[in-house]
Amino acid sequence: MTFVVPFGPQHPALKEPEYFRFEVKGEEIIDLNVRLGYIHRGIERALQERSYLHNIYLAERICGICNVAHTTAYCQTIEQLANIEVPDRARFIRTILCELERIHSHLLWAGVAAHEIGFNTLFMFFWRDRELVLDLKEMISGNRQISASNTLGGVRRDVKPEYVPTMLRVLNKLEKETKYYIDVCTSDRTILARCMGVGVLTKEDAIKLCIVGPTTRASGVDVDIRRDDPYAAYDEISFKVIIEREGDVLAKVIVRLREILESIRIIRQALKALPRGPLRTKVAPKIEPNEALGRIEAPRGELLYYAISNGTDKPERIRVRPPTYANIPSFKPMFVGGTIAEIPIVMASIDPCFACTDRVTLVDSHTGKARVVSFDELRGRRK
Amino acid sequence: MEVLDFFFNSLVFPGLLFASLIGLLYVGIDRKVTGHMQHRIGPPIWQEYLDVGKLMSKEDITPHAAQSLVFNVVPLIALGAVVTVMLLLPVYSAQPALATVADLIVIIYLLNIPAICLMLGGYSSGSPFGSVGAARHVVQLFSYELVFILVIIAVVTRVGSLNLTTVVGYQAQHSWLILDWRLIPALIAMFTSIQGKLMRVPFDIPEAESKIVHGAMTEYSGPKLAIWRVVYDIETLVVAGFIAALFLGGPVAYTIGGVQIPGVVDFLIKTLVIVLITTTLRNIMARLRIDQALKFYLTFGALLAIISLVLVLVVP
Amino acid sequence: MDSKEVADLIKAHVGDVRIVSERRLFATSDKQRFRDLLPALKVAGVTHLSTITGVDRGNAVEVIYHFDCQPAILNLKISLSKDDLKIFTITDIFPGAVLYERDLMEMLGVKVEGHPDPQRLFLPDDWPEGAHPLRKEFERESK
Repeated sequence: MTFVVPFGPQHPALKEPEYFRFEVKGEEIIDLNVRLGYIHRGIERALQERSYLHNIYLAERICGICNVAHTTAYCQTIEQLANIEVPDRARFIRTILCELERIHSHLLWAGVAAHEIGFNTLFMFFWRDRELVLDLKEMISGNRQISASNTLGGVRRDVKPEYVPTMLRVLNKLEKETKYYIDVCTSDRTILARCMGVGVLTKEDAIKLCIVGPTTRASGVDVDIRRDDPYAAYDEISFKVIIEREGDVLAKVIVRLREILESIRIIRQALKALPRGPLRTKVAPKIEPNEALGRIEAPRGELLYYAISNGTDKPERIRVRPPTYANIPSFKPMFVGGTIAEIPIVMASIDPCFACTDRVTLVDSHTGKARVVSFDELRGRRK
Repeated sequence: MEVLDFFFNSLVFPGLLFASLIGLLYVGIDRKVTGHMQHRIGPPIWQEYLDVGKLMSKEDITPHAAQSLVFNVVPLIALGAVVTVMLLLPVYSAQPALATVADLIVIIYLLNIPAICLMLGGYSSGSPFGSVGAARHVVQLFSYELVFILVIIAVVTRVGSLNLTTVVGYQAQHSWLILDWRLIPALIAMFTSIQGKLMRVPFDIPEAESKIVHGAMTEYSGPKLAIWRVVYDIETLVVAGFIAALFLGGPVAYTIGGVQIPGVVDFLIKTLVIVLITTTLRNIMARLRIDQALKFYLTFGALLAIISLVLVLVVP
Repeated sequence: MDSKEVADLIKAHVGDVRIVSERRLFATSDKQRFRDLLPALKVAGVTHLSTITGVDRGNAVEVIYHFDCQPAILNLKISLSKDDLKIFTITDIFPGAVLYERDLMEMLGVKVEGHPDPQRLFLPDDWPEGAHPLRKEFERESK
């Protein structure tokens, strides 16, 4: 006898609306079905109706947490499309911003995970340290979250020399704290009871289902776009790819926390090697017919942009494949065989970002008619 | 005169007014300390008064699916139960306010009434979160309650009386039971058990907000929720007072430098210490799963309590 | 495999190969040859399908498979005429393609034959049949 347990679209463990349908036998989960699209905003279509420059701002708003990752991937793809070389200084600044974002995203995730297992003190600690990173981001880009730093052909704001001592000081503090957190997460009995051996994703499944990012690295798959397909300044920086073998929730926690340490090392190197020079090159608004693919290692994994140009100032097609989209198939092997009580923490363990996943149509719920909302319309509505 | 006394006792001191004022203050302190432990500023210590006051002034809503007498009445029954326990506890001297022959068994029963009321409220609320919360509450009740009762049996065996006044009097003549090494395991078991009784981390499973919103209390709002808050806060005080009476010698009046310090001050200090211990415990742990909690209580907790009981029986 | 090695591996099964850089190559194929290419890729150790992109090119829909050959990424293009919008599933060889193919079906109306779970993924249940948001004619139709 099986029961169906609906989970979402509104549920306290989901920070964003998405629908999961669990089939359970007693407490054991035997199957699940995912239904996406609750925050589908028609972005892929919208991207091909705006100019290249305009699209930076749209790409930035696909996801609030990994906005630098989205703009870096977008700008990089368009730069390849138009055959533009980015100045060295801009490449290093992009690296710094991407890594700051990774630290803040991982700390944010760790906080949410701690909250899911009811450890609110740890949750507050993680988010307190995340504030330090946000302050750094604000210092460099002028904004805490949406940095608006990347642009086609380079970056818009410089990392001034007077920022460097502050940044190094904050990074030292963060490094100390992160080491302490790794210690806590590997030794606290209650955390181990909730995370160890739960939601296991085996290496075979991770490879078979094309899982990306920290989720797959926690299962022992050695993949990292920063090393495999270097972008920005990663080819001039040495760093380790963090791998854990267990594949359970605990391994995913440890991988992310250790990645924070690597990110701190990367930022230190980038600050040291920061070359002088201009911040951006000029980009013509129109791009000849071409196609290009750019991918980066966003905090949640491989983020892929594919663009086709057609000679006008608007792209023919831009495909966005955010990491959470690729990671959704991993839910099945992680949940099946587990219990209902594990759902929130296992779901959190891939660091799902459903806003990213549901990019692509707006439905008017009153008329039931589907259409894409135009920019003028949006402006009209606000009046 | 006796009637007046009874009303004064139940409504003012140590009954409703005193218990709720102190209970709310203690939970306020608990929240403030929690804030500081989590590197936050935290709310002011009188925040609970403000919260309850605001909830009291809100509209009284009963959800459509929850239209039943049970849903509306259980908060009041729970309040009555915890205030009655307050009257049975030694607050200002070894003698409780209600000087009838009421022993520990009555207190155990009365302390269970808020939990049972919460379950009834959850089941009658018509919300899936409410009933899941209530179901988990049942499981949790059966686990921590066993430990709680075993600890009390150990203490009772040690003292040889089921009467709380006698237990306190015994400690005044000899020494506090906390100083008896045979009862140390029982004391530890007691703290794990009240962590479950007061639904604090790691045993706040019945109201785990990331899974089941607020458990059995999900559908309560306005004045009814305010009453639940008061019940919870008084329960915190009552349980702390109960442990103070069992292990810390209850309220003792002192004379320091010729100034008489009444027993109630001693009661307040001891209960505050106990509340702060539970606050610390709840801030240094993650929440367990319900099966893990059950296992924990039925093995570790019960084992400690039984060790104490055996030690008390065997070691002279 | 870098781009050259990938090009050597696939040249029997594709029409033309364009190597852009060491880690980027674009190739065009058709349905029949693509079927034979998939096992060849799998044997060569390619396990990661990054995504599947569909592009409306007016009278045809191009389906682009992005294979991660580590470090090279192979963009394999298959053009489907709008009269015969059908392609076979690759989930038997690359199980990670399951969501991308559902995406392709609802967004561009390409029928993926043999898909294990051909439900909607993003679009709501009351979405009209035959309306595909990423098709060029979509906006005109709905206005």
